[in-house]
Amino acid sequence: MTAVARTGMREGFVSCEACGLLSRPVCAEEPGECPRCGAELEFRRRDAIQRTWALIIAAAICYIPANLLPVMRATSLTGEEPDTIMSGVVILYETGTWYLALILLIASVIIPLAKLASLAYLLITVQRGSVRNNRERTRLYRILEIIGRWSMVDVFVATFVVALIQLKPLMSVAPEPGVLFFSAVVILTIIAAESFDPRLIWDSSQGKQETNE
Amino acid sequence: MTENADLANVPEAMHVPKKRSRVPVVWIVPIVAALVGVGIVVQKYLNEGPTIRITFLSAEGIEAEKTLIKFKDVEIGKVMHVNLTDNHTKILVTAKMEKSAEGMLDNDARFWLVKPQVSLSGVSGLSTILSGNQIGFEPGTSKEKRRDFVALEAPPPIMRDRPGREFVLRADTLGSLGLGSPVYYRRLDVGDVIAFNLAKDGRSMDIRIFVNAPHDKFVTPDTRFWEASGIDASLGADGLSLRTASVTALISGGISFETPSSGPAAEAAPNTAFTLFKDRTTALAPPQKDIRRFVLRFRESVRGLSVGAPVQFLGMTIGEVTDVGLEYKGEAFRPRVEIATYSYRFMEHLDKKALAMQKAQTLGERMDVLGRLVVDKGLRAQLRTGSLVSGQLFVAVDYFPDAPKAKIDMTQDPPEFPVVQGDLADLEEKVKNIVAKIDTVPVEEIGKELKKTLETLNRTLARVEGETLPEAKKTLEDLRRAVTAAERVLASTDNTLLGPDAPAQQELRDALKEIARAARGIGVLADYLERNPETLLRGKNKENP
Repeated sequence: MTAVARTGMREGFVSCEACGLLSRPVCAEEPGECPRCGAELEFRRRDAIQRTWALIIAAAICYIPANLLPVMRATSLTGEEPDTIMSGVVILYETGTWYLALILLIASVIIPLAKLASLAYLLITVQRGSVRNNRERTRLYRILEIIGRWSMVDVFVATFVVALIQLKPLMSVAPEPGVLFFSAVVILTIIAAESFDPRLIWDSSQGKQETNE
Repeated sequence: MTENADLANVPEAMHVPKKRSRVPVVWIVPIVAALVGVGIVVQKYLNEGPTIRITFLSAEGIEAEKTLIKFKDVEIGKVMHVNLTDNHTKILVTAKMEKSAEGMLDNDARFWLVKPQVSLSGVSGLSTILSGNQIGFEPGTSKEKRRDFVALEAPPPIMRDRPGREFVLRADTLGSLGLGSPVYYRRLDVGDVIAFNLAKDGRSMDIRIFVNAPHDKFVTPDTRFWEASGIDASLGADGLSLRTASVTALISGGISFETPSSGPAAEAAPNTAFTLFKDRTTALAPPQKDIRRFVLRFRESVRGLSVGAPVQFLGMTIGEVTDVGLEYKGEAFRPRVEIATYSYRFMEHLDKKALAMQKAQTLGERMDVLGRLVVDKGLRAQLRTGSLVSGQLFVAVDYFPDAPKAKIDMTQDPPEFPVVQGDLADLEEKVKNIVAKIDTVPVEEIGKELKKTLETLNRTLARVEGETLPEAKKTLEDLRRAVTAAERVLASTDNTLLGPDAPAQQELRDALKEIARAARGIGVLADYLERNPETLLRGKNKENP
């Protein structure tokens, strides 16, 4: 494709994100509502960059207590033991199941961090109007959307453990505030990925030659 | 351009005017997150309790980040580090306390290690078997704050908030008491021994007891304490007496107390010192007033007489022996026994009328009465055996009208009380008399007579041997000869009558043969007659064969 990409926005059309109907906006500032399904029309997701930034920052803030505060507290006859995510990783590694430790480390520590970093990278490149590696960046965004929800598995495991291990007075497990922050991180990154508009990646290359082709 | 025509048919969107804020609402999310994060940090900081250091002698059972500090079983802190002190002699435990405990960490707060303990008086700290050792804590009462503490070596015996009072008991020995030994009031467990230590001069024990409220009000300045420990067996002139307390006290010892009903009702102040008596009897004995001392100078051995032995008047105890010693008097050593008599004990035995009389008399008059009794009625002291088994002696005061005259010199202090020989001495005298009588028996003469008699007998026997015996021998020989002759006669008789060739036998045999022949002849005749009966009438027929 050597031709300059034609986009709906440049041609003066807007497509409904809900039903996909292409329509002519009322005016450039206020595209109005979809005549078919009534959804609000937008050329690009509104305030996508700001919104994503806000959510990423919130997630980054939550990421700190999620890792510092204990996630669960196991009470047994020999005493109480609060566990953070990292202490869980360490315990698994020390008890010899390094593969489980690796899974926990990747799923709970690295992936959320990588998501935050990737979204920040996408936002920065879009804001700077970068035109390079558009395809790779789009692929990165797609991967982000897919893997994002899997971090929730951690939260589910914690929830199950708390609900199932209630063998009082022998042993019981109670949730700690860390798990709330951790799920906040996961949810915020999912929403952040959602609110980012991948079309922005291509907007920068308007009127410019694709560099990666 | 079909494309353009198609695009011309694209429907127009509806216009719905909307007001929009310039700043997206979404920024609230990071603000809220930041606020919550800051809030947690602030809360954590505000809830941060003080860090304290406790010095222990040993780190036994204390684990960093595990051992808890508990007050009334509520967690108020946690051990963070366990280190040696700088001079390597003790253990320095650093602990993080809860914020709520901050107000309790004052100057005289106490820490100690709670371990499972099994003793005779009970089991404590059992929960620590499973949960591991913990550090016990008790807040103090002072206002000054403190961060460095020295742990107690053992759990404090009582908590400061336990209602009741502490008292001190003085005793000669600790006996069978120990920490936690129970204190009984009418056999009800009302407290325990919380501490004991030697008095400063090392001559007695100070035993600290704690009496729980509300029973502590029964302790008045007049209260008597005694050891209710174990089995109290005493072997005295009274015989064997055995007294036991409850089973717990039997094993672990104990203290009992009782308040004489006559005493004042006021409660004793805390830390009042009392004497701990050996047993109930001595504890409850009324105060020893009106004591009269006497000296007894016996002539016999006082073996078996001990201090404390009773003095009995007509069988009733009126006092006791206070001293047994020796005295050099009249060029010889004599036992000197001091006794004390107690008026109250004497009066115990009086009936009401006599009591009134006794009370009416002054001490001097009473002594006069005593003096008269000694002179007129022969009132004397005597040593008697209280128990034949143990040989214990006691002093008996009794009337001995036949005793030699004596009197009390009341001017002496203490006056000497006249004595008579005791039972045992009497017995000795009698034995002596018997021996003396035996001595007078003429054993030597009897011996001489006996010897003479024996000699005579000897001579007689010799004569018998020399003269009578040969005669007897001869007689016996004659007799033997006679017997032999008789034997011979008998043998010849045998030959005549019974031998095979004896003539009598021969003749007898011949006679028998003749008889047989005659019998055969008769037989023939009988046969002939049977065949020829006529021959009886006609005679024998010659022709017939």
